[in-house]
Amino acid sequence: MIGYIVRRTLQAIVVLFGVSIVVFAIVHLVPGDPIRLALGTRFNQQAYDALRRRSGLDKPLVPQYFYWLGHALTGDLGVSFRTGQPVTQLIGQRIGATVSLAGAALVVALVIAVPLGLLSALRPRTSLDYGATVISQTGISIPEFWLAILLILVVGAKLDWLPSAGYVPPDQSVSGWLEHLILPGIAAGVSSGSILTRFIRASALEALGRDYTLTARSKGLRERTIIVRHVIRNALVPVVTVTGVQLAYLLSGVVVVEVVFAWPGLGMLALQSVQSRDYPVLQGAVLLFAAFFLIVNLAVDLLYARLDPRIGYASR
Amino acid sequence: MRRRLIASIVGVIAGAVLAGCGGSSVNLGTPGAVAGGKAPGGTLQVAIASAPDQLDPQKTTSYPSFEVLDNIYDTLVAPNPKTLRMQPSLAQSWTVNHDHLRWTFHLRHGVKFDDGSTFDAADVVYSYDRIIHGKLPNAYRFATVKAVSARGPHTVVITLTKPTPNLLSDIGGFKGMAILPKGIASRLNLATHTDGTGPYMLQSQNPGSITLVANPHYWGKGPYVGKVVFQFIPNATTAVTALETGEIDWTDNIPPQDISNLQRNDTLKVATVPSTDYWYMTVNEQRKPFGNPLVRRAISYAINRRAITEAAMFNAATVNETAIPKTSPWYFSYDPYTPNLAKARALLRQAGVSHLSMGLMVTSEYPQTVEAAQVIAAELAPIGIRVNVQTEDFSTWLDRESKGQYDSFILGWLGNIDPSDYYYDQQYCKAADNFQHYCNQQVDRLLTAAGTTSSTARRKQLYDRAARLIVDDNSYIYLYNPDVVQAWSDKVKGFIARPDRAINFDTVRLSK
Repeated sequence: MIGYIVRRTLQAIVVLFGVSIVVFAIVHLVPGDPIRLALGTRFNQQAYDALRRRSGLDKPLVPQYFYWLGHALTGDLGVSFRTGQPVTQLIGQRIGATVSLAGAALVVALVIAVPLGLLSALRPRTSLDYGATVISQTGISIPEFWLAILLILVVGAKLDWLPSAGYVPPDQSVSGWLEHLILPGIAAGVSSGSILTRFIRASALEALGRDYTLTARSKGLRERTIIVRHVIRNALVPVVTVTGVQLAYLLSGVVVVEVVFAWPGLGMLALQSVQSRDYPVLQGAVLLFAAFFLIVNLAVDLLYARLDPRIGYASR
Repeated sequence: MRRRLIASIVGVIAGAVLAGCGGSSVNLGTPGAVAGGKAPGGTLQVAIASAPDQLDPQKTTSYPSFEVLDNIYDTLVAPNPKTLRMQPSLAQSWTVNHDHLRWTFHLRHGVKFDDGSTFDAADVVYSYDRIIHGKLPNAYRFATVKAVSARGPHTVVITLTKPTPNLLSDIGGFKGMAILPKGIASRLNLATHTDGTGPYMLQSQNPGSITLVANPHYWGKGPYVGKVVFQFIPNATTAVTALETGEIDWTDNIPPQDISNLQRNDTLKVATVPSTDYWYMTVNEQRKPFGNPLVRRAISYAINRRAITEAAMFNAATVNETAIPKTSPWYFSYDPYTPNLAKARALLRQAGVSHLSMGLMVTSEYPQTVEAAQVIAAELAPIGIRVNVQTEDFSTWLDRESKGQYDSFILGWLGNIDPSDYYYDQQYCKAADNFQHYCNQQVDRLLTAAGTTSSTARRKQLYDRAARLIVDDNSYIYLYNPDVVQAWSDKVKGFIARPDRAINFDTVRLSK
């Protein structure tokens, strides 16, 4: 098990290294000039040259990459062109907001998906199943920005139940943080929940039709025990995989929801860094997103063994 | 009231979940007590569209930064909030010598920076030298400055290489020319910290907001509000909803199409003030056939500026065929281009041009340019010009503009005060921002003369003549001057919506 984790970690480092090269190449290939943008609409050649020199962009790309990599290995991801702040600080300031939102969205997703998916599988081809299908299809089809604006207009403005936008850090006020988290959490979680509903339904249906379920039934086990001990547990393996992907997606910043709710997360930071060609921030943010995916995938793989004792790691 | 109920429920849940770590709810819409008496009180909640990129006033070029910094820093002189005529600020008075090459500024006494140090002439010299020698974005404003020197603690002398009648607007037109304490950049990271003399001081910032507190040592009148919280709300619908629900007190993130709705709300004040900005279309004169003035004139006759303004700005703008708005004393009334398709076709025929295809570059950063481009595309089709609208993000847009990789584009110039701001950098043959490559020696001579003439009446004549030539040549095809649109809750008293878009909360009071 430990050997497996070490091996996967080493693989992750190689992947991150590859990602850093690809990201570095891509951000420099994208048209647009961060220095031109930083100077605004009024152009001044001397100011342009001075800022370009100060930012280190006057050097060839390969030395620029190795300079960046050398610092990145020591935990220094550089300084933002746009704000002059260290990239690690900018990311650190936003990670709390992103983790809060991803966590809330996942809770919303699971609250929707688990009951709806299971009920749908247990009563296939009934009006309940069709109803659940309509609900999950609707959830997948509704654009996040539309749902977000609808929630703001109805729950925030019309009903006046919750604040329409903004973020309060939990260390400032826990209730303020929760109050501001509910609407963005719903807006970001509905689509993931709807996708998960489909997966839970499919895997539960598959488990219900398997021989071990038939055997459990023929042994005379109670339906409740069959579902909890045999169906749900076996259905969970694929569901955990999809949940992991959804979590990594949510951690990578739900840009649209963040923009509409003025939620200062990593998605908004990444979007601003793309718009302003803020190379150091963009590289830092994409590396972090890649790291999220790798960590979540590893956690999912480790969870398999807990869920299904037949899965082991020693021989792999 | 209902929100209070939900807030209580959420508070109880938070308390239960987090074992009593909870505090009272921090809600955007709960400003504090009414301001009254001498001590500033209450909290003004402000929504702006984006976070400042950085807080160094001399380095940033971003408008959201200046929305905050306008309240923290001062300049030697400053525009009057209504007339934009330059008036004393950190300099109490000034004199110009007989040859107009030496300006002497007498500084205000008893002014303190946020760090407690006393403001004097050395700070002015340091601030201007930092811009000039550091080649910062506004160094061009000192193009005619030979030296900045202190004559004693309260006198600063600026010597010039040639008369510069617009010196005051150059050094005071906006907070990019802010006065910093001497040597501050080596002691403090100005990108994230501030040290000014203005009515407010930076208290705290996080990725979602910046909080300012009243400066108790402010030299001017006010401020009358204890705290100003700038929330960054990029989505305009969200910002407008937050204003309507009372979560915020002030915003300028208002789509033009929402203005009439907001005006119907009795609890809100909506200001639409003609700005000093202008928006225009131009073509790349280095590309054929756009170097031909007949082609440019044909375009100018084919487009309907009123329709463009309506589509792009929902009429929150004034059509103008020159740059300077009607509200300015420098306005020049000249509008030769009544839409005339027959004339436009004839001009194209005369130029020997038919079936022309033209790229029109616009940017999603300014959505009104995209709207305007659609109208222009439809209007040029009947005269045989097929317009290909190219929407770019702003970084790519600027890059293409600098490299001359475009047929035509739409953009605006913002925050202009002196007539030289409107014409020189854009129309002078070798000027840095003459991306359209327009060159008319007569215009150059007029702009040079106007830029060094001290008589206001004579300058006006010279700029009028230059403007007529620029409009006739269609170097820029001027479209409109937009309004400044800002809205605030009726409990906000004393806010002045300014034509230069500067946001100053030093005059604001809060009432219930």
